[in-house]
Amino acid sequence: MTDATSANVPASAPAPHKSSLLTQTALMKKRNAAESRFKAYGIAAITLSLSVLAIMLWTIFSDGVSAFKQATFSFPVTLDAEKLDPKGNRERDEMMRVTTIGYTNLLNQQLVAYLADRGISTEGVSDKDIAAFISRDTPARLRDMVLANPDILGQTIQFEGFATGRIDGYLKGRVTRDTAERDTNISVAQLDLADRMISEGILSASFNWSFLTAPDASDQRPEAAGLGVALIGSAYMMFLVVIMVLPLGVAASIYLEEFAPKNRWTDLIEVNISNLAAVPSIVYGILGLAIFINFAKFPQSSPLVGALVLTLMTLPTIIIATRAAIRAVPPSIRDAALGVGASKMQTVFHHVLPLAAPGILTGTILGLASALGETAPLLLIGMVAFVANYPAGPLDGGMLDPATALPVQVYSWASRSDPAFIERSAGAIIVLLAFLVVMNIVAILLRRKFERRW
Amino acid sequence: MSDSTQHIASAFDRDLEGIQGQIIKMGGLVEAAILDAAQSLADRDEELAEKVRAGDRAIDELEELINETAARVIALRAPTAIDLRVVLSVMKISANLERIGDYAKNMAKRTSVLVQMSPINGSHAALRRMAREVQMMLKDALDAYIHRDAELALDVIQRDRDVDQMYNALFREFLTFMMEDPRNITACMHLHFIAKNTERMGDHVTSIAEQVVYLVTGDMPEDQRPKGDNVSFTMPDMKG
Amino acid sequence: MYDAPTPETRLTQNTLKITARGVQVYYGDKQALKDVNVDILDNTVTAFIGPSGCGKSTFLRCLNRMNDTVASARVEGEIMLDGENIYDKRVDPVQLRAKVGMVFQKPNPFPKSIYDNVSYGPKIHGLTRSKAELDQVVEDSLRKAALWNEVKDRLNEAGTGLSGGQQQRLCIARAIATSPEVLLMDEPCSALDPIATAQVEELIDELRASFSVVIVTHSMQQAARVSQKTAFFHLGSLVEYGDTSHIFTNPSDPRTESYITGRIG
Repeated sequence: MTDATSANVPASAPAPHKSSLLTQTALMKKRNAAESRFKAYGIAAITLSLSVLAIMLWTIFSDGVSAFKQATFSFPVTLDAEKLDPKGNRERDEMMRVTTIGYTNLLNQQLVAYLADRGISTEGVSDKDIAAFISRDTPARLRDMVLANPDILGQTIQFEGFATGRIDGYLKGRVTRDTAERDTNISVAQLDLADRMISEGILSASFNWSFLTAPDASDQRPEAAGLGVALIGSAYMMFLVVIMVLPLGVAASIYLEEFAPKNRWTDLIEVNISNLAAVPSIVYGILGLAIFINFAKFPQSSPLVGALVLTLMTLPTIIIATRAAIRAVPPSIRDAALGVGASKMQTVFHHVLPLAAPGILTGTILGLASALGETAPLLLIGMVAFVANYPAGPLDGGMLDPATALPVQVYSWASRSDPAFIERSAGAIIVLLAFLVVMNIVAILLRRKFERRW
Repeated sequence: MSDSTQHIASAFDRDLEGIQGQIIKMGGLVEAAILDAAQSLADRDEELAEKVRAGDRAIDELEELINETAARVIALRAPTAIDLRVVLSVMKISANLERIGDYAKNMAKRTSVLVQMSPINGSHAALRRMAREVQMMLKDALDAYIHRDAELALDVIQRDRDVDQMYNALFREFLTFMMEDPRNITACMHLHFIAKNTERMGDHVTSIAEQVVYLVTGDMPEDQRPKGDNVSFTMPDMKG
Repeated sequence: MYDAPTPETRLTQNTLKITARGVQVYYGDKQALKDVNVDILDNTVTAFIGPSGCGKSTFLRCLNRMNDTVASARVEGEIMLDGENIYDKRVDPVQLRAKVGMVFQKPNPFPKSIYDNVSYGPKIHGLTRSKAELDQVVEDSLRKAALWNEVKDRLNEAGTGLSGGQQQRLCIARAIATSPEVLLMDEPCSALDPIATAQVEELIDELRASFSVVIVTHSMQQAARVSQKTAFFHLGSLVEYGDTSHIFTNPSDPRTESYITGRIG
């Protein structure tokens, strides 16, 4: 209720503004111009980043999408019992004596006969060349099918199998008549025959599920190569990483944040954890090689060793994220809990952790997502090896069987010569990106769901 | 005491100074009324008596104003400790002053009546002395209030005994006059009431002095108020 | 003007609940409280008043050893609760805080349901044996906090969905659910509007029948309205402690008088 008299206003106060509000002063104009320029820089930077991202995605997709399609044969095959089961007793051991070569001959003869039946001209193409249409992997598939189910012997089935890599390339546009003239593995006449088979419906490009399920294949059979082993290997590793890194990281963070005394030692630890997060990942690979493989003698290129290395790598990130989440819990909640008579442990586990959980979860998922894409350390522990067999189930010691991981598979295929492998490598990148996007979306959704708790 | 330092809210200081200033003003008016009433009685001055009667209105208005202001200060400032005692004492003092003013007016009224009658010798001097004594007590009480002087206030309280003695003497004197000559009775009755009113004025001044002690120390004075007035026990002297 | 004997003056016959002798508190090298001696009575509301930084909140937090959570705080002297020194080495602060509850300045209900907020204390201290008993304790606490009628139909809703005044009453219910003997309140009404403040003050008056209440407040009118005993702190010392009506009508110390009447210094 005091009246402010004019005696209280200091004599050196700045002069009141006399200009009209409706016109801009020179100072205003300059500042507005500077702000507009800054906004323009920002938009330019974002546009540049987005266009680079778009180019990268376009390149990958255009290269990799075709990996999901595969040229496939479809024609009736009579499973001649005499040839495939000479003893006629349907004994598996006996039937196994018929090797892949037997099945190969069967398929080749049947294909040639079928073409003749359908009246498709095979001009300029020898029988051997026709046989070359079929992927070398396909007879093995047929054999596996028969051995699994001997009852189909003697029947005529509509068999679907892969075409060979060059034919596949022709359907996808990699192989043209020009390149065929210089290629020893394929002739122009074969391509003409392929055209005729396509028009008859024998040869087509269909969606290739086995890309995701089949194990890796040798250089001569790119069409049979798949991500099966890589996916299982990555899945095992992620599972192991989660069960190792989460308890360790969260427990370490809680101790450092809530219970440790604040002295020079804990400061030192904090600095070192931040440093560890910045260490190049290949160093962890060397560490893993030296300790887990050379010293502890764990099996090389097993998901267990891979998971151990990735755990060490992800641990600093998890610790930092968890500490930040715990620090973000307002001290008033802690005071309230202490005031009611909760002990320190009860305060942490009943109040602080539930509130920090969304942050911890987000940090964990992001840490896992980056671990999923790590290649360098896994290369050093041997996961780049060519693995053609699935690792066993998790309870059968599958963690110790050799396996590979998605990013490592990408590296391995990208370094092979056959262009079909390059295509598959791009396809694998698409799969990897899909997983990363899903994990990031899950992280964002979780964060949004739990955010406005208090 | 500590009410010499400033409040952080200066408007509060202005409010308190305002009501205290009004008390002083009212006190001045009342002192003048006492002296004028006594003077008019002594000089048988009807005009002066009329002036005293008219002046009582200003005193009543001041009392109303002081009460309003005090209520506002209590509502708006929630005074505590010494500030609370200041406001409460101001309200009490203004009530006492207003009563004193009323007695002065009553004195003036009776003076107008007495002027019509023949004077009675001897009493006027005593009455004037008594009124003068009361006026001095009032002046000292108000001084004690301004200077927050508890010693002076206690002294004023003691002096009321003299006023009471003066009244006792006057009472016996009027009894004697009335017994001597029954024609004096009307005049003596009026004079007696004037004397009684003056004695009551003294009691109100004592009350004001007690408020000053309460204001300064926080407690009412411990000693019993001197009760010199024993007329209730006086028997008329029936001897010839 | 005579002070009529108010019912409060008869309360000086109450028993001593907390006695503090020679309490000194240091934050690092800085001394925040010097030589505080005070007696808190049972079934009485005691108010701590004083300017900012005078140490009243620090002393309040000594009474339930919340200062233990501050690393640099050091407490010397004796504080006896029912004759036992709460700073004795054998005393577990967790157990102490079940006996001495606290309500804070800004309402801070747990981000759980109303029922869980109130039942948390009794649960962790093992005060009830069955769910029915726990339900009863929750209902009693909410009734004592004058909140039951407003929330009885929504006990499972989040505590943070209530209004400010309701949240503070919920925090009070939470604090009294452990049947404490002393209730400490650190400026409980400073974040509330006048109506909520009046409700909480009414509540405090009712609570003193069951506990001893110590309230730190910046508002002198609130201290005058709510308490029977008042302690005035200034620059880390206890300057004056006595009956509230005495302190506010005729304080003994000139510093107290200056502070109460709003004079500078």
